Amino acid sequence: NGKIEWAMWANEQALAAGLITLTGVPRAAGVFVCLLEYPRGKRNKGTSVERTGQYCFTVCVKSFGPLTRNYYVRAFLHAAICVPGGFILAAVLGCVCLGIASLIYLAAAIRGEQWEPILPWKESARKPVGESIKLPPQNPPPRPPAEMRRKRAEDLEAAAYVNPIAVTANDD
Amino acid sequence: MALSVRSWVANEGGKHLVLVLWLGANTLLFMRTFLLYYCGQQYHYLHQMLGLGLCISRASASVLNLNCSLVLLPMCRSLLTYLRGTHTVRSRKARRLLDKSKTFHMACGVAICVFSVVHVSAHLVNMVNFSVRYSEEFPSLNVARYRGEVRFPGITGILLVLILFLMFTASSYCIRVSNYEIFWYTHNLFIVFYIILIVHVVGGALKYQTNFEAHPPGCLRANQTNPDKTEEESGQAEGDGRSCREEARFQPNSPETWLWVSGPLCLYCAERLYRYIRSNSPVTIVAVVRHPCDVIELRMLKKDFKAHPGQYIVLNCPSVSSFENHPFTLTAVSWFKRFTELLLPDPGAESEILPMVQQRRYPKLYVDGPFGSSSQEVFNYEVSLCVAGGIGVTPFACVLHALLDGWRHFRLRRLYFVWVCRELQSFYWFAELLCALHHKLWKENRPDYLNLQLFVSQTDGLQNISEERYRPLSSRLMIGRPRWKLLFEEIGRTNKHKRVGVFCCGPKGISRTLHRLCNSDRYSGTTFEFNKESFS
Repeated sequence: NGKIEWAMWANEQALAAGLITLTGVPRAAGVFVCLLEYPRGKRNKGTSVERTGQYCFTVCVKSFGPLTRNYYVRAFLHAAICVPGGFILAAVLGCVCLGIASLIYLAAAIRGEQWEPILPWKESARKPVGESIKLPPQNPPPRPPAEMRRKRAEDLEAAAYVNPIAVTANDD
Repeated sequence: MALSVRSWVANEGGKHLVLVLWLGANTLLFMRTFLLYYCGQQYHYLHQMLGLGLCISRASASVLNLNCSLVLLPMCRSLLTYLRGTHTVRSRKARRLLDKSKTFHMACGVAICVFSVVHVSAHLVNMVNFSVRYSEEFPSLNVARYRGEVRFPGITGILLVLILFLMFTASSYCIRVSNYEIFWYTHNLFIVFYIILIVHVVGGALKYQTNFEAHPPGCLRANQTNPDKTEEESGQAEGDGRSCREEARFQPNSPETWLWVSGPLCLYCAERLYRYIRSNSPVTIVAVVRHPCDVIELRMLKKDFKAHPGQYIVLNCPSVSSFENHPFTLTAVSWFKRFTELLLPDPGAESEILPMVQQRRYPKLYVDGPFGSSSQEVFNYEVSLCVAGGIGVTPFACVLHALLDGWRHFRLRRLYFVWVCRELQSFYWFAELLCALHHKLWKENRPDYLNLQLFVSQTDGLQNISEERYRPLSSRLMIGRPRWKLLFEEIGRTNKHKRVGVFCCGPKGISRTLHRLCNSDRYSGTTFEFNKESFS
C-alpha cells in the first residue's frame, strides 16, 4: 500500500538492541540508546499507543529539537555506536541488532518520516456544548389526574411514594 | 470487589496449570542437561577447558529445542478447529484452553528469545575459553588452531539471531495493529529460521569422550608428570587407583535438534499446504450491501464450505494485496451454504474495493477457513452472557442467526445480549435480526429466552430508534455506558448456582472489566466463566 511506517519498527529494534547492549560491556551506550528510543513517536494516521510512563522521556527527547526529530541523525548515531562496539566481543550481539535498526531508520528518513512527540490530548479541542443543555428543563413533566394527586389522610400507607428505581449507594 | 478463589480457579485455573507444567518441563530439561555436562564423565575434559559456559550453553540449547518444537503447534489452526469442533476434546474446560493457543505461542516465542540471548552469551564465553585454555594434551578437543586464536565458527548462529531479532521486534502489539504487513512478512521467515537451525547443530564444535571406560577422566595425571601441577594435585591423582589403558578419544555430539523440530515442522507445513489448497478456489460474491457507519456486508458462496456459528475466516483479496490475509468473523451460516460477513471499516482496503463494488465488478476473493473461536461455546452453557462492543457484534450475530433457525436443540436456555455502540446508526446493522428473533421467541412462548440490552455510549443529542417495526429495540435502548456490576448481580440473582458463560468481543476496557468481575466474589453462588474473542 505504500503506507508502512518504518520508523516504528526501527524504534522497536533499537530499543531491543539497547536492552541487549545493557547486558554486555558498553553499558553506557545501552542506557543512552534505551533512553532515546523509549518514547514512541506519533503515527501519521491512526491512534498512537504510548509506552507506560513515557511522558517524561517524551519531554526530554523533544527538547533536543531537530536532533531527535530527524531520522537521519538517529541512523547515523546508531551506526556510530554499533561499529566500534562490534569489535568488543561481549557487545557483538547488541551492536549487530543496533546496526539493523540504523539501516531501517535510514530507510524511514529517506521516505521523509519524522519523530513527533505524543502529547496529552488538549481538553479545549472538544466541540463546545450547546447553551440550552446547561439549563434545567423549564416545563415539569405531566402530572397524574387530581384525584390521584390528593393525599388520602385516612390511608397514609397507600399515599406513601415508592421510588421505582432502587436508591442505593454508588459503589463501583 | 473481592477476589473469589472459586471463581478464580474456574476462570484461570486451567491456563495456570498449563503454564506451570510448561515451566516445569523447561526447568527440568535445563537442569538435566546442565548436570549432564557438569558431572558427566564423557564431558570431563571439555568441561575442564570451557567451564560453566559449556553447561549453560548446552542447557539453554536443549530448552531452545523444546520451545522451537512447541511454538509451532498452537499455530496449526485447522487442527485446533477440528479438535474444538468435533468434540474430540469432550471437556469444555479443555476446549477453553484452546482459546489461549496464541498466548502459548507467544510464551514459547519469548522463551526462545530469552534463551537465545543466554545461549549466545555462553558461546561467546566458550569462544574465549577455547582460545585461552587451548589444550595441548588433547588437540582434537580444540576449536582454535593455536593458543590465543579466536576462531568464530558460528555463521549459522549469527544468521539465526538476526532472523529471530527481526521476527521478535516486528511482533509487538503496536506493530501488529498499525503495520500488519511488517509482522506478517517477517514472521514468515520462520521457515528460513528452521532450515538454518537444522544446519546449525551439524557443526560439531563440542565433542564428547567415547572411551571413558578404558580411559577414566583424570587418569592422565597419574601417568604423566606435568611441571605446572603442584605436589598436592599429583598426590591426589595417584590416589585415584584407576589405570589408563588408552588415549582419550573424542567424537562430536550427534545433532538432536532435528528429532525435536522435524515433527511439528512437518505438521505445520502440511497444515499450511492444506489451507492453501482449500482456499485456492475463489468465492462467488452474491451480493454486497452497504450499511451505515462505513460497513459493508458481503454475501458469498463457496463450494464445500461448512461452518459453525462463531467461527471466523481469513480473507485474501489479491487486487488489494497478494500476500495479506485478514481475519473476519462470519455473521451468518445457513444451511443452504451461503455465508455473509461484515467487513471491518478499514480505510486502506475500502478505498480500493468500493469503486469496484459500485460498478458491479467484484474483485476476486479467496477465503481460508473456517477457524474455531471461543464464541462457538455460547450454545454449550445453560445461560450465556454475550457482550459486544461496536463491530464486535459479528460473532454473536452468527449465534443469533443460528437461534433463529432453531433454538430448541441447543443446551442454551437463556441468553443475555448486551450491545454497546458509539453511534445509534450502528444498531441498524442487525436491527432486523434482533427483532425477528425477539418476535419468534415471543410467539413460541419463551419471552425470557433472549434478554436484550442496547447501549449508546455517545450521549450528545436526542437519540431514539424511531421506526415502528423496531419497537422492541427502542424500548430496550439506554443512553450511556452499562453498569456491569449491577448487570452481573441481576444475572446472579436470577440464575442461582448456575454456570454462566460470559463472552466478550469488544474493546480492551470492557473485556478487562468483565474479566475482573468474573473472578470476583458473588453471593448467589453463580460462577461466571470468561471467554474472550479477539480481533488482532
